Amino acid sequence: MQNVIATMLLPAPDQAPQPMYAGNASIWHHMSDALHQSLDRVLSLLIAILPGILAFIAALVVLTLIGIALSALLRRGLAAIRFDERLVRERGNVDWAPSTSPSSLIARASFWCCVLLGLIIGVSAFDASYATAATFTNSLLPYLTRVVGAVLLLIAGTLFARFLARSVLIEAVNAHLEYSRFLSLGIKWLVLVLTGAMALDHLEIGGIVVELAFGILFGGIVLTLALAVGLGSRDLVSRSLESHAEHASERGLAPPAAPAAGHGDPIRHF
Amino acid sequence: MATADPVSDMTAQADHTGAGLLVLLAPMTQEQLQGMLAHLTASFPAESLLVFSPDALPPDSDPALRFAAVPATSTSWTLNAADFVNAYHLAEENKARAVLMLGPESSSLDLSALHSLAHAVLAAPTDLAVSCYDLPPYAGLVNSAILYPLTRALFASPVRYPLAPDICLSLRMAERLAGVAQRFTATNQADAPLWPVNEAAVAGFDIGQFDVGPRLQHQPTGPGLNTILPLVTGSLFADIDAKAAFWQRFRPFPAVHNAIATSHIHTGGASPDTTPMLQTFRLAYTNLQEIWSLVLPPSSLLGLKRLAATDGVAFRMPDSLWARIVYDFLLAYRLRTINRGHLLGALIPLYLAWVASHINITTSGSDTESHIEAVAAAFEAEKTYIVSRWRWPDRFNS
Repeated sequence: MQNVIATMLLPAPDQAPQPMYAGNASIWHHMSDALHQSLDRVLSLLIAILPGILAFIAALVVLTLIGIALSALLRRGLAAIRFDERLVRERGNVDWAPSTSPSSLIARASFWCCVLLGLIIGVSAFDASYATAATFTNSLLPYLTRVVGAVLLLIAGTLFARFLARSVLIEAVNAHLEYSRFLSLGIKWLVLVLTGAMALDHLEIGGIVVELAFGILFGGIVLTLALAVGLGSRDLVSRSLESHAEHASERGLAPPAAPAAGHGDPIRHF
Repeated sequence: MATADPVSDMTAQADHTGAGLLVLLAPMTQEQLQGMLAHLTASFPAESLLVFSPDALPPDSDPALRFAAVPATSTSWTLNAADFVNAYHLAEENKARAVLMLGPESSSLDLSALHSLAHAVLAAPTDLAVSCYDLPPYAGLVNSAILYPLTRALFASPVRYPLAPDICLSLRMAERLAGVAQRFTATNQADAPLWPVNEAAVAGFDIGQFDVGPRLQHQPTGPGLNTILPLVTGSLFADIDAKAAFWQRFRPFPAVHNAIATSHIHTGGASPDTTPMLQTFRLAYTNLQEIWSLVLPPSSLLGLKRLAATDGVAFRMPDSLWARIVYDFLLAYRLRTINRGHLLGALIPLYLAWVASHINITTSGSDTESHIEAVAAAFEAEKTYIVSRWRWPDRFNS
């Protein structure tokens, strides 16, 4: 065994012996080349898009300054011609808080119009500059737009989840459902899970794993809610059916009483 | 009542010589219509009357009576924007001096009621004649809890039923209401209720209130309390918001022609079961804290906490607490603190708590009407609270 290993370690007879440091130098050389090339590429890209970034900032700053000046000018001009008072005289008795007076609204609108214009001009300048630099292989900026889209999706989903959860909670409480909070939480998490899955899908993260996990979670929540509502709302359904039956029998004979009424005088809310 | 655009069809049928009183009727059965026409012809000369109804003319009615049928009618349980637009157009086309609008189940009204309403506008300088009904003790509770106290406190109007379905209008009052109503019909909200008393108060018109005795109250069919209460309170809150410049100024009680002969005293009788209402309130207290805490100041939340811990028979909501709750919801409606649908939905359990408290108070021997008057007085006393919070909403007064 020792002979075999010794034979393997011996250099081949036709092979010239090479110095060990020569191989190391080549690796370092290649690494350095690769790093230089990468640095060059990134620097070139930055140099290519830098005018665009500067143009964006310049457009935004200049238009914002113009907006401030225009807003101040309009505010003073409208105050000088007593615009608010004239409008009140023409439109009648209107109550405006100082922060929401028409002249203030006009001035604010003009300022934000200028800012928006600056943004549009800046973005279009940046876009043109980026298009010229697109010859470089770069996937970071397009991905950033996906990230922005995902963040917007998350914000919208969270807002919608909260709105829906509140709607369900209030309706369920007014329908005398004991498990109102549970139902509301279930709906909220349904929407949040859906939003999370959509955001991940938009970012192209996870692939099939996210789809599977989403399916399992969504199905689980729906099943839980269905069981909870099905088992818990028997009373509600029977109450509703009784109320419909009573209503049908009383129709045309007497005005219906409120369902909340008990055995005394009927309660009529209207 | 009448729908949006039947005017052109009807004016062709009606005589153009000019009518003293134009009567606009809600849908009713043939027997009811016959009775109503008999009442009208007994109270007024047939020549001065012009009646519009969605139903066909009964065969044996007075031939001298000028009658025109209106097309399809809306199913609204109270007078709405489309009714006021139609009323004014018809009155203008027929040169009427007064418009008597009678809501569903108006056939149960007494003969003298129709006469006093119409006579007030035709003979006296009244622009708006409103009915005051003698209802059973636990009827019209939304009106007693919210509509009447708010209207009385903010618009200094003692009209007991601000949303009365039977009213009489002068031509200029009808014109003003039609102008307001057109804003709603133009935005496809023909079913929105209008607030004639508030309009008349802002315009400085004469308002008269007339005792019309008992009446069958037409209950909304289909949508229940959870739908109608937000609709009505939302409409009133929006109207109050639009007229803030008017009610924020101090005003003395105007001279309203109050033709109420007797105060309606209702005591005794079997009381309704308050348990379901209290259960709803307690359920809401455990679940809606998060939403209520966005709207109500800590002092009101503390009051609700004490209420939630109170047993059934001893359950009493202080009048000042109820007044502040309604004012805080009104303010949150104005500021859009939360979604307006959510806000008005969250008011329902609190309203039911007030109803339970009202029933307990009246069952324990208090007169129904005197409790309602006490609630209205509490709203008046707390008016400074809403005025100050309206101006400085960030301050939570203790």
